[in-house]
Amino acid sequence: MLNRNPRTLGAVAASIAIALLAGCGGGGQPQTNADGTPLKVYRHSMDGAPVNLDPVQSAVVYSNFVVLNAYDTLYSYKYLARPYELKPNLAKGMPEVSEDGLTYTIHLKEGSGFIDDPAFPDGKGREVVAQDFVYSIKRHFDPKNRSQGAWLWQGRIVGLDQWKDDGADYSQDVEGLKALDDHSIQIKLVKPYPQLTYTLAMGFSGIVAQEAVEKYGRELSIHPVGSGPYKVERFSTAKAVLVPNPNFRQEPVDLAAEGFDPAVHGDYGLDAIDGKAPPFVDRLEIDFITETASRWASFTSDKEVQFTSVPVEQIDSVLGSKQPVTVSDAWAKRYHWKSGVEAGFIYTYFNMDKPYFGYNDDPAIEAKNKALRCAMRDAFSWAERNERFYSGIGTVFPGIIAPVVPEFDPSLSEASVTQHMEKAKQQLRDAGWTPETLPELTYGYSSAVFYRQVFEQFRGFMNQLGFPLAKIQGRTFATFGDFNKAIKTSQLDIGGLGWGLDYPDAENTLQLFYGPNRTPGSNNPNYANPEFDALFEQASTMQPGPERTELYRKMNEMVIDDCVAITGMSRNKVYLWHKNVVGVPDREILGGFWLKYVDVKTGGSEE
Amino acid sequence: MTTTTAETAPAPRKQGESLWSKAARKLLRDRWGMTSLVIVLVYLGIALGVWAGLWGQDWNTLTPTINAEASAEHWFGTNRNGQDIFERSIFSTKTAFEIGLVVAVLSTVLGAIMGAISGFFAGRWPDEIILWLKGVLDSIPFYLFVAAVAFALQGYAFSMHVAMVATFWTTTARLVRAEVIRLKGFEFVEAAHALGVPEWQIISRHIIPNTTHILLVQATITFVSAIKSEVILSFLGLGVKNGVSWGLMISESTNEVTTGFFNNFLAASVFLFVLVMAFNMFSDALQDAFDPKKT
Amino acid sequence: MDTLQYALRKLVTGIPLVLGVTFISFVLMVYFGPDKTYELIGKNATPEQIAEIRSQLGYDEPFFVRYADYLRQLVTLEFGYSDSTGERVSRILTRTIPVSLALTLPGFVLGNVLAVVLALVAGFYRGGLIDRAIMAGAVVGMSISFLIIIIGFQVLLSSSYGINYFPVRGWEVYSLADYLYYVTVPTLAIVFVSLGYNTRFYRAVIVEEMNRDHVRTARAFGTPPIKLLFRNVLRNAAIPIITRIMFSIPLVVISGSLLIESYFGIPGVGKVTYDAITTGDQPILKAVVGATAVLFVLTLIATDVMYKVIDPRVSLK
Repeated sequence: MLNRNPRTLGAVAASIAIALLAGCGGGGQPQTNADGTPLKVYRHSMDGAPVNLDPVQSAVVYSNFVVLNAYDTLYSYKYLARPYELKPNLAKGMPEVSEDGLTYTIHLKEGSGFIDDPAFPDGKGREVVAQDFVYSIKRHFDPKNRSQGAWLWQGRIVGLDQWKDDGADYSQDVEGLKALDDHSIQIKLVKPYPQLTYTLAMGFSGIVAQEAVEKYGRELSIHPVGSGPYKVERFSTAKAVLVPNPNFRQEPVDLAAEGFDPAVHGDYGLDAIDGKAPPFVDRLEIDFITETASRWASFTSDKEVQFTSVPVEQIDSVLGSKQPVTVSDAWAKRYHWKSGVEAGFIYTYFNMDKPYFGYNDDPAIEAKNKALRCAMRDAFSWAERNERFYSGIGTVFPGIIAPVVPEFDPSLSEASVTQHMEKAKQQLRDAGWTPETLPELTYGYSSAVFYRQVFEQFRGFMNQLGFPLAKIQGRTFATFGDFNKAIKTSQLDIGGLGWGLDYPDAENTLQLFYGPNRTPGSNNPNYANPEFDALFEQASTMQPGPERTELYRKMNEMVIDDCVAITGMSRNKVYLWHKNVVGVPDREILGGFWLKYVDVKTGGSEE
Repeated sequence: MTTTTAETAPAPRKQGESLWSKAARKLLRDRWGMTSLVIVLVYLGIALGVWAGLWGQDWNTLTPTINAEASAEHWFGTNRNGQDIFERSIFSTKTAFEIGLVVAVLSTVLGAIMGAISGFFAGRWPDEIILWLKGVLDSIPFYLFVAAVAFALQGYAFSMHVAMVATFWTTTARLVRAEVIRLKGFEFVEAAHALGVPEWQIISRHIIPNTTHILLVQATITFVSAIKSEVILSFLGLGVKNGVSWGLMISESTNEVTTGFFNNFLAASVFLFVLVMAFNMFSDALQDAFDPKKT
Repeated sequence: MDTLQYALRKLVTGIPLVLGVTFISFVLMVYFGPDKTYELIGKNATPEQIAEIRSQLGYDEPFFVRYADYLRQLVTLEFGYSDSTGERVSRILTRTIPVSLALTLPGFVLGNVLAVVLALVAGFYRGGLIDRAIMAGAVVGMSISFLIIIIGFQVLLSSSYGINYFPVRGWEVYSLADYLYYVTVPTLAIVFVSLGYNTRFYRAVIVEEMNRDHVRTARAFGTPPIKLLFRNVLRNAAIPIITRIMFSIPLVVISGSLLIESYFGIPGVGKVTYDAITTGDQPILKAVVGATAVLFVLTLIATDVMYKVIDPRVSLK
């Protein structure tokens, strides 16, 4: 649609201007090592900024991304294997699980150290020990830390909730969370929790040092002291600068074990890192750039950030084809690229708490309400939502088991995600709804322009279905907190939401519809189906396998059949990065872990 | 918005009537003033038409053409949702008048009452309290204050209006207060006092009517401030709740202009600019007309 | 001595004003402000956890306890930690206020100096073509929304649809060159938006001075225009001009930069305040509002005292 020449010219002009200005100013960063070799710098970019780098508050994807590089975790994911596979990180091996599935024993590697920091005696980072892990998990149950991750372990580990109720005294031991010795951890569960190991690969379980918490207090959030591959040298909401942690354990990369597949990863130059111990770069800079236009300008200038996701506005000019997603030759020649579906999905929920819309004591009204919800779902066009707002490259799928998890069922009927306007109107008529009797519904959204446009599209669909405009009321919230409050206190009738998976197991999305998780928990629709709940409880203690997958799929169908939500779509992103960067970026389950392996080729110009 | 009033203090006059007829005569002679008045009236007509349902009703209709350029079917093209930008600009005129009128009328009324009380009781406690309140409101940065009010009243359709009224009345009150203090020295007020007319009657019957020319000018200035503030507030996410406004269109355009789609931005800014410009000029003409120093 | 006493007396009268500002802003921004609780909770929070966070944030305290707490913070200048980032509020302010000053100062100074010059020219040629042209320009300037100016300049100067010499956003200033690179577009926007208002105001003041007898006499005796304007007019017009400038200072520091900083993504106090508003970060809001109020009242007093020093006829009321 757009002529590319002016932009290229513009980029050239901009880079000349930058070069001129930087030339006379001298810049603020050293460009070489002490021995004169050029400094290896990788400049990453992200579309949002972390607000807080304390592992207990790393719920936001941007925080988690940086936290995983500053703090070490017991487990992580294999760099290249897909579907995602866990692997030991600080742990020596996968956990030893007792016969009843209740006791986990984990041994730690020796010789991994915290960064050098004034928090430690003589400023020297000491070795990470099992007690540090125990302390770090306990912190989530100390109310003054405002943990966002405690829900992962709540009611699951023997004695931990009690420890909190007893006043969160760190000198008290917890029966189910113990350091057997400096390098062994024992976790005892209340009931089997097959997802436990996944939680130990999240930023929430990043290992902090008690000395640092004591020294920096709440400001640990801007001054991370961890034992991850990098040390955060500078952090603001515009940029983070990280340098290697010299005390990080030496662990050569075994590409084959990481899931290297020459057919998929052959072009990325990864053989350069095989057998060498990360981290490889001398400095890692992460620019947090919310505005897509400036991120794009910075990336295409070839002087600044070396990585970007392709903004929606540019998709048409960058892509060669959309199904499947490929980048046009011109761009593929200039940059490495990769496309990937998000580990998560977006959906529009219906609040089942409302008697005029959801559950009702009168079965006749309840049936009528269900017909209304199903008609609204059928009037909704995922194809258009995808086309208008997600460049038409999102993956639409029925239900709540997203394509990224192994339990995804590609053979499921597409009927619930296809627009059938006539059928929808018929449904309304059959159930006896007329424009006069239709309820007035409140749709909540945060006040950014994007969400307003999404709302207007939704209202447009409902208008076509037969809703008078005034009966779909938009309610804006200037802060996410207030929006979330309205959801969690069950004030809204409809709302558009997204969910990012915490680990690659459909349990993580099914719990969004589990009755006891009703608001303020994560079950925003307040769905309450005893059958669903029974299956969920049954599946929650089961190990992965076909039996569990079958239960998952049954639950999925219940959610579809009951029309509790319009769902769903996983967004697709296209990533570009400079040719001199050695790496395979990932922002989903693997997230920040991949930055440990990133390398930059120096010398030798690119084509 | 507070700066244009330096020339508005009229000299004493014998009769209220002559000021108005003289002003009308001067205004009718002012070519620019009349042109701008006509433009404002055209806008008002558009707004009334939207209000009456004659046009601008399809602002929310989705069409399959997205981000289209101008054409016979869509005069200003369409936005990302395929909605007609011309329809949206037209509908926004109504939104602007709604905000402008509500804020101008309410803040002028409030300012007149507060100013009159303050001036009448100059130096006594009601004056002290009102002066203190004005001082307090003036000490809080405008956008911070408006944002805070809009937040505090979140969920109410008129939170933005309340916020603006709460800040805009102070200027009017200050001018009215000064005028009232001046008027108090005049014979007719002193005579009323001597006759034992109650104070509230003196204020409402004798003082406020003599400040109407100030109020009229002030109302036009407030109107302009209100629709300009709406743009900023809508950009900050605190503006119009339902419907569409020029401010919302401009904030929609912020992501589009950097990729070369200017229709939303241009349509809304031109509509906004012409109205504000005309109103500013009309306001100036009105001031000149009431200014006895000018002939 | 007399002046000092006068200043102290004024300082005392400033107290109810500060109390009023803090009270109103407390009611609006803190008591009815956005609820941070639901921003901080985890994905699957229980009512107990929500209650815990509310209590951590002090939301469950009675109104007057919270207000008294605020006043104590204001007096001790100890505002605690940001509820979002955990950073000390005082550290945030000392980090961001210099950025805002560096950002807005050039535009502020230029906007006022240019306006005074234009006003002098317009005032000198009062009623003439030049005057009318300048005043028409001022009305045009006043009629364009700040937001439109910002977007317009950004398109013209920072995008490939214009000359594309300047950054779209950001603030990575390590040298003078960096500074000029980042400050130019915001400065132009600030100058443009303030010029119309300032010129009109200053012209009115200057015209008033031009009409005074001594100026007319001087003009009639053929004093050269520059000398006339600077010696006879500007000196007497200085008080209203300086007053206006002084009163804009507190606003320039805080709210003037709110829009610019949030649009250009510049980490100044305006952006921090804006983010604090939209996330309900009350410790920051409390500090910013408190600081502005105190600054404003101090300006008020300083202006009064200055009047007194310049013009002893000002009554000591």
